[in-house]
Order: sequence, then C-alpha cells, then structure tokens
Amino acid sequence: MIETTASRLGVTASGLVLALALFALLPQFGSDYLIGIGLTLFMWIALTESWVVLSGMTGYISLGHAVFFGIGSYIAVLGWGVIPLWLSILLGGAGAGLVALIMGYPVLRVRGPYFVILTFGIAEFVKFCVVNVEAGLGKAGRLLFGAPSLETLYYIMIILAGLAIALTYWVRRSRFGTGLRAIRENEEAAETLGVPVARYKIAAFALSAVIPGMVGAVMVLRVTYFEPLQAFNPVVSFTIISMAIIGGSDDAPGPLLGAISLVVVSELLWSSFPQVYMIVLGVLLIGFVLWAPDGLYGRLTSLFRRRVS
Amino acid sequence: MSLLTVDNLTKRFGGVTALQNVSFNVEEGEIFGVMGANGAGKTTLFSVIAGNETPSTGQITFRGERIDRKRPDRICRRGIARTYQIVRPFAGMTVLENVMVGALFGAARERSGARARARALSILDAVGLQDRAQDPASALTLAGCKRLEVARALATGPRLLMLDEVLAGLTATEVAEALDMIRKLHREENLTLLVIEHVMGALMELCDRILVLHHGERIAEDRPQIVADDPAVIEAYLGTEQ
Repeated sequence: MIETTASRLGVTASGLVLALALFALLPQFGSDYLIGIGLTLFMWIALTESWVVLSGMTGYISLGHAVFFGIGSYIAVLGWGVIPLWLSILLGGAGAGLVALIMGYPVLRVRGPYFVILTFGIAEFVKFCVVNVEAGLGKAGRLLFGAPSLETLYYIMIILAGLAIALTYWVRRSRFGTGLRAIRENEEAAETLGVPVARYKIAAFALSAVIPGMVGAVMVLRVTYFEPLQAFNPVVSFTIISMAIIGGSDDAPGPLLGAISLVVVSELLWSSFPQVYMIVLGVLLIGFVLWAPDGLYGRLTSLFRRRVS
Repeated sequence: MSLLTVDNLTKRFGGVTALQNVSFNVEEGEIFGVMGANGAGKTTLFSVIAGNETPSTGQITFRGERIDRKRPDRICRRGIARTYQIVRPFAGMTVLENVMVGALFGAARERSGARARARALSILDAVGLQDRAQDPASALTLAGCKRLEVARALATGPRLLMLDEVLAGLTATEVAEALDMIRKLHREENLTLLVIEHVMGALMELCDRILVLHHGERIAEDRPQIVADDPAVIEAYLGTEQ
C-alpha cells in the first residue's frame, strides 16, 4: 500500500512539474490573450487554494476573502514608485495576514452562518473605510504608470499559485491540519483532546490571507488602476467559494480542479454570452451542492476507486 | 496526596443548580464510580473537571495543581481525558485519524505523524477496532463509536481517564466485552479511572469506590457493597416505603 501511494505521488508530482514547465513556456509561444487567461487561472488557483486552508480545513466559511485581495492591492498602490515591486508584494501579503490576525480574534468566536455574515460584513466595512480615506485624500482612483510586463506578472502569479498549492498540500498532511480538521468535525471534542482551538483557528485565518494579499498586489499592476470598489469587489469572495465547492475536498487537487473548470467555462462563455455564463455558474453551483457536495475531486476519486475494486 | 481533589464544587446554570458543594478525592490507580439518576449532575461533573464548563464556586486540584477555570486543551495536556456520553466522532475523518488527533495533541503528544500513527494503531488494537482503522468514523455502529471515544481519549496519554456511560445502549455481549476492555486497559496502561455508569451491576463489579449524586448533591461515597445498602441511596433510587 505504501508503495502504491509513493508511486502515485511520483506520478502526480511529475505531472505537476510537466504542467508547470508547459505553463512556464507559454509566454514563449502564446499570444497576450492566452497569457492573460493563464494569469487569471493562476490567480484563482492561488486564491482558492489559500481559502481552503481556512474554510476547507476548519469548516469556517469565509465570505470575506476579497478584503485580503483588496488590502494587497492598496498596499501595492501606496508603495508604487516608492518601494521595489518584490517588497510591495511581500508587504501586501504581510498586511493581509496582519489584518486577518486582528479580524480573526473577534470573528472566530462565532460559527456557522454568523461567521459567514460577519466575514462578509467586515470585508464590506474595510472596503468603505478605504473608499472614504481615498475620497478624503481627493483621489477618485489611482493610475499606475510603468507597470511590469504581462509576462513578469504571469511568472510571479505562477509562483504564488505554486506556493498556495504547496501550502494546502502541506497543511492537509501536517499535525496543524489534523487539528484544523478535528475542529471542523467537532470543535468541543477537538479541544477536549488537547487541540488549542482558538490559536489554531486564528493561525489558519492568517495563513489563508497572506497569499491572497500578494495576489491582490500583483493584480492591481495588471489592471494598472486602483479603485477601491473594484479592488475590494465581493464577487472575488463569491467566485472563490464557487470554485472551492465545484472542486470539492480539503486537499490541494480540489481547488485546482474547481479553478481550472470555472476559468475554462468562463472563457468559453464570457466573451460571447456573458448572461449565459452567470446562469451556467448558478446552475453548476446548485447542482454540485445538491448532487455532488464532495465536488469534482470527490466524484473523480470515488469513480477511480470503483474502477479499481 | 490524591491524584484528583474536588473541593466544594458548585455549578449553576441560571436558576438550576446542577452540582451543589460536591467534594471527593480520587487516588492514583483507583477505579472510582459516579452513580445517580438522570439529571443528578454526573455529566456536568465531568464537564467541569475537563474544563468544558467553568465551576460557579469550588476548587479542583489535579496532581497538586489547580485546574478549575483552565481551558479544556490545557487540562487534557495535564493528563485528564474524557469520553462523551453522546458520542462525538469526527465523522468526516477515518477511525485512525480520529485517534491520531488524541495522539498528536494530548498529554503524551507526538510531534511526528509516523509515531502518532503507530501509537494510534496500537490503541485501536487494544480497543478492538484495528480492522476499522481506514473506515470513515461515520460508518461505525454505536458500540463502535463508544470504543472510538475510549480510543481517542486513551491516545492523549492520560493519567486520569473519565468514562461517561460507555456501556449505555450496548447489548449484553457488548457490555461484557467493553468491561473486559476497560479492566484490561486499567491494568496495562496504569490508569486511574473515573466512571459514570447507568448499568448498576457493571459499576458495582468494576469500581473500588462509588460516589452517589442526587439532585447535584453527594448522598454517599464508599465501597460498592456499602453504597448499595445505604438507606439514603435506596431511597433516592427507589423512593421511601410507605
């Protein structure tokens, strides 16, 4: 059994390396349009994998991850032309993590729907704080000049997506992740078995915020324009959840599958039939919640298991 | 010095007094029973000792250290583990993973996953769940869940193990098996046990001493035979003769 796991791991790892190499070569032969899609894809992979570290593992469903994306964007904009790019990306991640630490303390005391609503509310609250600060400063949006090339941003995003996948993969197999999953299954029992639940939840919240902050810092350079209502757009939070639900699972492949399939569907439909895309998204979500709550990954693994046995 | 000292413990829920000035000691290596009708305060007593509930007044001392008002995970790390009468398996995890949580986080926590796994497997062996290790916990029967409760608690490496009605709802054969398991664990793991049980006969057979609670108050505490003949206990259980 150990051997098969090891060989399966080898196959998966070599497949991943191959895919990464292909994507890394994309700018050599692909059009800007393709690179743009690649950037979007890796953005959603990075965001959804990060979200899973909190919400997939602990069951605390965050509807406010757009706030971390927005904070990263804002920090990158403030730092633009002042500090080097790599530093503003790192600061974007650190800032988002810090906000999550502060936010997590009160927010993680409530569970279930209350937590969902509270994270959404705080994200909106932060958004309008930034809107007001910007208005007070007399800025109706900020333009960024001399942003790095699309290829540069694309490569950075590949790295962030890779980090997010590795993070989820590692957490899922660590002592930390076992504690988080125990919290999801029964928080009181977990605490009685020695899991320091309060500390773990806050740590997971902060961990799941860092990469979205960095992603936000990169994406604001892609659009070369900062406008708070756009940077803190709650649709980001909704899309992350949709991808996580459609992908399924609390392990790295789930969000990966979810992000890929939704980006493909959106590219196929968005340009020609934008209304149809939203309808399809709605139908997909309802369908998965009702008939395949374990998502694409869950369906695939059970299919695979049935074939074998 | 006693392993566990409960001193004048009171717990109120609003206007309801679940425990009223309860005091007792549990000695190292002993099997100590807690008996009482429904609503007598037995489970509340466990919850307060394990830190799931904070006492209204009173003190709890374990291995010479005050533990009342400490968090449950801290108390677990000091060496007290409990099971739940209404079982609380981690349903979405495998049986083995359930037990590994205890092995990774309890008093005898293993930092290495491989060692935690090995210990969890040997504990599953001891409680007779070795064949179910890879099954999801949601697939277990009630008897299986009760064993899992014991296995998880054991995996934390406790000095004091509190068993809350692990025999309730089991068939006669299952009760006999479970009793054997408890005795074996007590012998081999060098444990001190605090046992709540509705199955009176089992408790009489198992325990060195028994505490009887009635409406949250202690009405007797002694060896099983003496408790069984105590007029106050008989009255509490069967009512007075007219």
